[in-house]
Amino acid sequence: MPELAQPPARFREIARGKLLDAHVQGALDLSTGRLRSHRLEAWSALPDVEALRERAHAIRMEVIDDLEGHVARFTEALEARGGHVYFARTAAEASAYVAEVCRRRGAKLAAKSKSMASEEIGLNEALAAVGVQPVETDLGEYILQLAGEHPVHIVAPAIEKTAADVAELFSRVRGEQVPAELEALTLAARAQLRETFLQADVGITGVNFGVSATGSICICTNEGNGRLVSSVPPVHVAVMGMERLVPTTADLAVLLRLLARSGTGQKLTVYTTLITGPRLPGEHDGPEELHVVILDNGRTNLLRGRYREMLACIRCGACLNVCPVYRRTGGAAYGPVYSGPMGAVLLPLLVGLDRAPSLPHASSLCGACTEACPVKIPLHELLLDLRRDLVEERVAPWFERAVFALWSLAWSSVAGYRLTTRLARLGQPLAGLVGPGRAWASGRRLPRLRPRYRDRR
Amino acid sequence: MRGLVEEFAANAAAIGFHVHRGEGPEIDGAGVSTALYGLADTGSVVLASSVDEPRARSLLPDVHVSLLRQNRILPGLEELFEALGSELPSALAIVTGPSRSADIEQKLAVGVHGPREVHVVLLPPA
Repeated sequence: MPELAQPPARFREIARGKLLDAHVQGALDLSTGRLRSHRLEAWSALPDVEALRERAHAIRMEVIDDLEGHVARFTEALEARGGHVYFARTAAEASAYVAEVCRRRGAKLAAKSKSMASEEIGLNEALAAVGVQPVETDLGEYILQLAGEHPVHIVAPAIEKTAADVAELFSRVRGEQVPAELEALTLAARAQLRETFLQADVGITGVNFGVSATGSICICTNEGNGRLVSSVPPVHVAVMGMERLVPTTADLAVLLRLLARSGTGQKLTVYTTLITGPRLPGEHDGPEELHVVILDNGRTNLLRGRYREMLACIRCGACLNVCPVYRRTGGAAYGPVYSGPMGAVLLPLLVGLDRAPSLPHASSLCGACTEACPVKIPLHELLLDLRRDLVEERVAPWFERAVFALWSLAWSSVAGYRLTTRLARLGQPLAGLVGPGRAWASGRRLPRLRPRYRDRR
Repeated sequence: MRGLVEEFAANAAAIGFHVHRGEGPEIDGAGVSTALYGLADTGSVVLASSVDEPRARSLLPDVHVSLLRQNRILPGLEELFEALGSELPSALAIVTGPSRSADIEQKLAVGVHGPREVHVVLLPPA
């Protein structure tokens, strides 16, 4: 299972490395900048984007308010169409179920389309352990699998790789020089993965949305790999976070109008596939068996508290592209699966605050994420709430809590305030040399305090 | 209906479909599908799997030709799901452009796994 916990030292170490890497900084700037401007363009072309976001928020909260009921309705509807539904409480249960389906079918090769839920449960490692070879077919994920790395962006997983990096990886696999040109790289991946689609015993996908009323799952991919993986192999297994549901297909239409526009700026993802059960009698293709694994893995813990709104997330990636922290540190600092503001909120909630205490601080609280969120999750407010929990649950170090208590005490009176400004002026020459001031001053200059008004000439 | 057809044609061309009227191109090895619906505001063709419409035909060949009756063009997604009601096929594909990826340097590459060339042939109402 991937380690979702992220100790502060690891966050700092990875972030520092990325900050010093001009290549990564350039790639992040360019890619997130493009994605952001594409979203803004697509949003501005919508007649009333605010009303649409409000509706999307309401739809998502309607599901979260009765998640158990929606899961039950979805299960019943899909089973009526001949699909199998398995509810997994933990990552281990989910992986074990998929491994068992593979074992029963005697599967050796599994073709996968991009799925953050399968990353979350470490499905590739679990399959490899029982002798099934999982092959990622999303171009970005395929590149990362060859490199032995984890995704650093939930929508554009290989955002930090250049064409030259990719050419090197592909040349190694094909045993011949593949030029670092986009067309050549695309053709090489197409040739390499076509065999995988045709030979795979099992196809594994994620799920963008499930529809409770009809038992359908909606899968969106631009490359067509999601459609291939769910059409060609004899078995299709889909891993779905339990909160992915929407009540009806009419609600699905609302969310689809926002998903691609927010993620990449497209009106719709190229292949938006709605699957309702396995192939029907008489059909020439499509899977004989369809399994949907509904994943809890800590999500029900969020249902009753003030963080429930986080379950509304549709994984579009818009908050990553606007975040001044993500755009500098990249995704790896947050851990191997989720990143950016959505990851900074979600990960501590899934693994426990004490196991990811630096993530709520990976934000300037500027609110750009909240502004970019198509389903109106107040991300920066949730991050602030998590910081309060860090203090209340005494996860924050005693030293930090003491400093803030003293600060608050001092600034509660005029005399105290004056005392601190006097001390600050006295201590100013030392500020960039010790403690937190030193960390702050590495890479930028500490501003000088202005003299007191009456001392100015 | 005329307005919808023109809107569809313009949007379909904008996303990279080749739009033909009345007669389709003869291309060796192309997969030919009959679209259930078209969506005017996105230029999409909607394909429903059935005994006569296998999934692979619009998926495996390099070139996909989709036949669409003009009277099957709907304004958008909302109208599509309204028209379908609870009668959902085992697989419904809303195809909005040729297969593409921007995974390498966020630059657009066409024809990654699905067809790299898609032709939509608009046919007169049945």
